[in-house]
Amino acid sequence: MSTDPYSATVRELFATTPHAGDLAGAESVSITDQEVRIRLSAGVEDGVITAMRFRAWGCPHLIAGAETACAALEGCVAAGLVDWAASDLMENLPVPVEKTGRILVLEDAVRSLGRRLCDGT
Amino acid sequence: MTEDYIYLDYAASTPVDPRVFDRMRACSEATCANPSSTHAAGRLSQDIIASAAIQVAELLNVDPETLVWTSGATESDNLAIAGGARYRAHRGKHIVTMKTEHKAVTDVFDALAKEGFEITWADAGANGLLDPAAFEAALRDDTQFVSIMFVNNETGVIQDIEALGTICRQRDILFHVDAAQAVGKLPIDLGKLPIDLMSLTAHKFYGPKGVGALYIADRPGCHVEPILFGGGQQRRLRPGTLPTELIAGLGLTAEIAAGRIDDDLEHLKALREALWAGIRDIEGISLNGDPNGFPGILNVSIDDVEGESLLLALEPLLVATGSACNSKSQEPSYVLRALGLTDMQAQSAIRFSVGRPTTVDEVEFAAGHYRAAVDKLRGLAPENAA
Repeated sequence: MSTDPYSATVRELFATTPHAGDLAGAESVSITDQEVRIRLSAGVEDGVITAMRFRAWGCPHLIAGAETACAALEGCVAAGLVDWAASDLMENLPVPVEKTGRILVLEDAVRSLGRRLCDGT
Repeated sequence: MTEDYIYLDYAASTPVDPRVFDRMRACSEATCANPSSTHAAGRLSQDIIASAAIQVAELLNVDPETLVWTSGATESDNLAIAGGARYRAHRGKHIVTMKTEHKAVTDVFDALAKEGFEITWADAGANGLLDPAAFEAALRDDTQFVSIMFVNNETGVIQDIEALGTICRQRDILFHVDAAQAVGKLPIDLGKLPIDLMSLTAHKFYGPKGVGALYIADRPGCHVEPILFGGGQQRRLRPGTLPTELIAGLGLTAEIAAGRIDDDLEHLKALREALWAGIRDIEGISLNGDPNGFPGILNVSIDDVEGESLLLALEPLLVATGSACNSKSQEPSYVLRALGLTDMQAQSAIRFSVGRPTTVDEVEFAAGHYRAAVDKLRGLAPENAA
């Protein structure tokens, strides 16, 4: 049993974050909660997410999770973000139970971005 | 230790000096006997232990008979504090320590509170130092026991032990010093310092883990009650079979340290200066604790950077966010909070601790890597973070 608090996946995603940054002129949301801060922005064409970027202030699991989410959601329909769930991401990274609240902030940010993209709320 | 990492956590533990390792192996090969046995092999074990006591005693300038062997500083602290406070309880039950002490001290005080002892937790200033006048003001007629650490394990702050001990001596208060971070690293002359009880451990100064000692001054009224029971060893103060090899290792560790303390200090000062010079101009950085503290430790906080991510981004540097004993906790360091740092400042704190094997190249690399890690994380963060 490993004593390393980070999986190889988390380490790799934390070290290389190609989706970190902003998209100029794109729709974005920012959330601060659970001692973390996250900002997501997405470019959309014909209802499909063409690019997604994040900025994050938080633990390595949050940064790895944000990178994973942005990579996975590019190419998806924007409406799908509204009910996006972080459960698969938490299982795959994996995220320890004490970090769940922080990943749920990411989930909230994705859903909020989805609502903004779909109906402007 | 893998060569892929740069070890900068010498305040947590140090590598065993190869000469110490050889000495322990030689002892183990020479005799397996219990030092309490009266036959020839047992007497050889006794002789090895007696020699080690002389080596440690010479480092501290004390009589070897004033040393009690323990498993390390935590046990020494427990024996000194619980044993000392209980020994003096018939005179008074007010005891004093600082908020910035190691858990091996604070947890014993908490336990004594449940026995009816009344505790005063002395405040450190923003620089981590305890003002002797404020300390004296906290003492009462029924104060019988005080415990103050020599060098803080997180910040490297060095307390004015001579001034604090003198105050205690004038009032006939038992004065214990947790010197786990000081013995073998700073010159300590117990023939001059007014210390009644002092804890030390081998693994903080290039000796083995699992062995330490408690110094108990040979003066009237200075004594402790045992906290362990089960045999007559060590005048019943600390029963249990003595680990001959480990004690021999501690003895040689002390002898080696005695011969190089001044050189070690010069080396550590140069390293600390090089490290601080490499990072001191980073925006939002601050040095935690008295800048004139022990040169083996540099504790810094940084604005707008999350501590856990900083620690991971700093690999391959092996550093600490707080006391290693407490590093699994997500809570900000209580020591740094006691110095007035905010949760965010305390959470971003990194303790670099350097040692004999550390090189200037390593600390210069560390400084550059720290700078890069801060830049990376600040670049990832949304505006107005923290």
